[in-house]
Amino acid sequence: MDLASDLADIVGERLSCSSAELYCYSCDASQVRGRPEYVVRPKDRDEVSMIMALAFEKRVPVTPRGAGTGLAGGAVPLKGGIVLDLSSMDRILEIDCSCRQVLVEPGVVRDRLNLALLPSGLFFPPDPGSSAMCSIGGLLANNGSGMHCVKYGTTRDYALDLEIVLADGSVIHTGSQVLKSSAGYDLTRLFIGSEGTLGVITAARLRVVPLPKARRLVLAAFRSPEEAGLAVNRVLSAGIVPAACEILDRTTVEVLHRCDPHLALPTADLILFEADGEPTAVLDEAARIEEVCLQSAISIDTASEAAEMEEVWAARRLVGAAVSRLDPKKTRIYVGEDVGVPVGMMPVLIRRVQEISEDAGISAMKYGHIGDGNLHVALFVDLSDEAEVERAKLAAHRIHLAALDLGGTVSAEHGVGRARSSYMRLQWGGALDVMRAIKRALDPRGILNPGKLDLGSGTDCDTADAGAGL
Amino acid sequence: MIDPRAVSGCVRCGTCRSVCPVFQETGWESSGARGKMLVLKSMTEGANLDSWCRDSLGTCTTCALCTQICPAAVRPTGLIEEGRRDLVLANVTRQEHRRLNRNLLRYGNTFGDGRDRLGWLGEEKEMLPKSADFVYFAGCVNSYRYPETAKKTFQILSRFSVTAMPQEMCCGSPLLRTGFDAGFLREANLEQMEAMGARAIITGCAGCYTALKGYGGLEVYSVPEFLNQRLEELDIQPLDLTVCYHDPCHLGRHQGVYDPPRRILEAICSLVEMKASREKARCCGGGGGVRAAYPELSQKIARRRLLDVPAEADAIVTACPLCVRNLRDAGGNAIDLIDLVSRALPPSL
Repeated sequence: MDLASDLADIVGERLSCSSAELYCYSCDASQVRGRPEYVVRPKDRDEVSMIMALAFEKRVPVTPRGAGTGLAGGAVPLKGGIVLDLSSMDRILEIDCSCRQVLVEPGVVRDRLNLALLPSGLFFPPDPGSSAMCSIGGLLANNGSGMHCVKYGTTRDYALDLEIVLADGSVIHTGSQVLKSSAGYDLTRLFIGSEGTLGVITAARLRVVPLPKARRLVLAAFRSPEEAGLAVNRVLSAGIVPAACEILDRTTVEVLHRCDPHLALPTADLILFEADGEPTAVLDEAARIEEVCLQSAISIDTASEAAEMEEVWAARRLVGAAVSRLDPKKTRIYVGEDVGVPVGMMPVLIRRVQEISEDAGISAMKYGHIGDGNLHVALFVDLSDEAEVERAKLAAHRIHLAALDLGGTVSAEHGVGRARSSYMRLQWGGALDVMRAIKRALDPRGILNPGKLDLGSGTDCDTADAGAGL
Repeated sequence: MIDPRAVSGCVRCGTCRSVCPVFQETGWESSGARGKMLVLKSMTEGANLDSWCRDSLGTCTTCALCTQICPAAVRPTGLIEEGRRDLVLANVTRQEHRRLNRNLLRYGNTFGDGRDRLGWLGEEKEMLPKSADFVYFAGCVNSYRYPETAKKTFQILSRFSVTAMPQEMCCGSPLLRTGFDAGFLREANLEQMEAMGARAIITGCAGCYTALKGYGGLEVYSVPEFLNQRLEELDIQPLDLTVCYHDPCHLGRHQGVYDPPRRILEAICSLVEMKASREKARCCGGGGGVRAAYPELSQKIARRRLLDVPAEADAIVTACPLCVRNLRDAGGNAIDLIDLVSRALPPSL
C-alpha cells in the first residue's frame, strides 16, 4: 500500500492530497515556503501516535502545525512529507479551579481557553497579538508570550506537563500535576520552544492564575522612541512591575489611526503601561508610573474603563498586519521582526534599528514589548519591487546582528523556524552542538520538522536545504 | 481578472480563521478565508484551475466577516468573486451553479419556474399603477417561495405611492456571487425602471439590495429602511413578543443597515440581541451560492447560527428571505420582518 492509503486507514477523510490544500499548507505568515505531499488532521493522540509510527517506519518527514500563524516558517514542510494539522484536536479536557490547572489539547485557540476560564475568575496569561486564532500547541512549540509577559512571564512558565508523541510513535509525559519537582531533567522546558523538532505535543497541563481585580492604563507620549525607552528603564529601576509595558512608535500610531480614526492615542512615540491587581495598589502603581514618566513625557493620559482599555489593546494586537493601511502598495514582510535584548539595551537597539531602516530606505514600524526587551520591527515594502525586497532582507540581517551584538536574541517569542536558522550558530556557539545531540537522540531518523533551527546533522530527512527559504 | 497586488496584500496572519463560518465547519485551510486568498494567489501564479480551486472558492458564503475583521484591509469577499469569474471563464464550475445560470437565462428566476413572477399579486396585478415614485422589487425567493410575504410587503408599501415592476427579473445577485455575467438582468430591470419614471426601488431581500445598489445610479431602499422612515405613519400596535434579529450579511456588513430593522422591532415588541450581532453577526450559511451547491455545509453553518439565539426569544426575525429559508431548514423559528409588521398593523391595513 502507498503512504496515502496507510494514512487514510488512520484518519479517514481527514487526509488531503488536493492541489489546493497542499498549496495552502505550504506556508505560514512568514516568507518561507515548502510543499507537503500529505495533510492530515488527526483527532486524538492515538491517531498522532499511529501517524508517527508510520512515518518513522517509512522515514517520511512530519511537520506539526497549529493555526499556521507562525512568523518564521516553523510549520512549513521544507522537506515535503506530512503536515500534521493539530487544530482539530481542540478539546478543553479539564478545568481544575481548586488546583488552578487546565488540561487542553494542542488545537485549543488561546482566546477560547480564556473565555472558558472566565466564569472561574481565572486566566492563562500569555497573550500574543494572534490570541484570537493561535493555538496553545503553537504557543508551546514557540514559547510564545505577548503583551503581559513583563509581569506574567512566557508560556514556558505555565506548563506543568506535556503529553508528547515521540518520533517513533511512543508516548511520554514530561511532568505531572505537581507544582514543583526536583526529580530528573526538566523535559517540559526542553520541549517548549523546540518547534516540533523533538516530538508532537498532544496535550498540555497548564497553570492558570486569578484574573486581576482592577486594571489601569497609563499612556505616556515622548518626543522620540529612545526617550520612551529611557523612561521605561527609569520605571523598572524604580521597582515597579507593570503588567504590560509596550512601545508604539509614531509610525505605528499613525497606522492605528488609519485603522480607527477615533482611537484616543496622541500621535507621538508612546509607551502603554498597564497596572493590574488590587484596586488601591493599581491606583498607587499607576501614579508612580506617571510620576516617573513626567520627567520626560510630553503628555500622559490614563484609562481605567474596561471598554476604553480593550479598544487600545485590540488595536495594538492587530497592528502587526495593518501597515498596508498606511500605503496600500506596501505589504509587511516578517523578517527581522522579533529581536530581543537585555531591557537596559532597548534605547540603543531602537536607535540602531532606526539607523538601519534609514540606511536601507525602508519604512519601518517599531513596536513591541519594551518592558521585556522585545522589539517588533515591521518593514514594509512593495513586493513587486525586487530591489526594495532585497534591501529589506539586508536590513533584517543587520537588525539580527545588532541584537546579537547587544547580547540579545534573534527571536524573543516568534521562534526560529527556517527564517532565522542561519543565526543559531552565531547566537549559541557550541551550545548548538548540544541541541543537535539532543535532536539526534530523540529523532534519530530526522523526520520531525526537518530543516528548522539549524539542527540538520546528516540524518535521513534533515540533509541539505531543499531550496525553500526567503 | 484577479488583481495580484490586491491578493498579495494578505499577510496570512490568520485573523480571519477566527471568524470564517466555512472554516469553522470544515477545518480545512483551503476552505477558510486565508486559504481562499492563497488559492487566489496560486491562480495568479498560473495554477491549474481544477475542481479543488473551484470548491475552495465556491464554499464562500460572501458573508464578509473576513473583510470586516482583516487588519490588513484586504477584501477577500470581492477577490473571491473575481476568482470565481475566472473559473467561470475557464468553465470550472459546479453543476448547480450552471443550472442557476441556465434558469436565469431562460426564465429570469433562479428556480427555473415558468409561472408568472407576479403571481403573488393575484387579481391586484391588473390594477397595478403604471407609474409611481417607488417600485417594489420582490426578488426571486419571495416571488416563488414566500408569495405571502411579497404580498404583505406590497400591501404595506402601497400606502406610500409604490408600484411593482410588471416584468421584474432576478436582480442578478446569484450570478454575480457565483462568477457569472448578470448584465442582461441588470439591463432588463433598469429599462423598466426608466420606463416607469420611478425615482427609487425598494426590496425586502438583502441579496437583491446589494445587487441593485451595484446597478449604479439607482436610489435603493431596503424594506426596513423605507418603513423605518415612515414608522409614525404606520400606526403600529405593540405585540406581546420577544424576538431577536438576525443581521443578513448583505444588509448589515455589506451595506451598513443595522439600525432601521431594530427601530421597527423595538416599536413592535421586545428585542433581544443574538450572541453575535450587527457587524459581528454570524452568517446563516445561505449566501454566495453555497446553499445551492453545498447544501450540507450551508445547513451546518445555519445550525451553528441558531446557537446564537437567546433563550428568551420567541422568534428570529430577519430581513432576507434566503436567511429565513436557510434558518428554517435548520430548525429555527425564523420569520421575515414584514410578517411581524403586518401582524402589528390595524386590521384596516
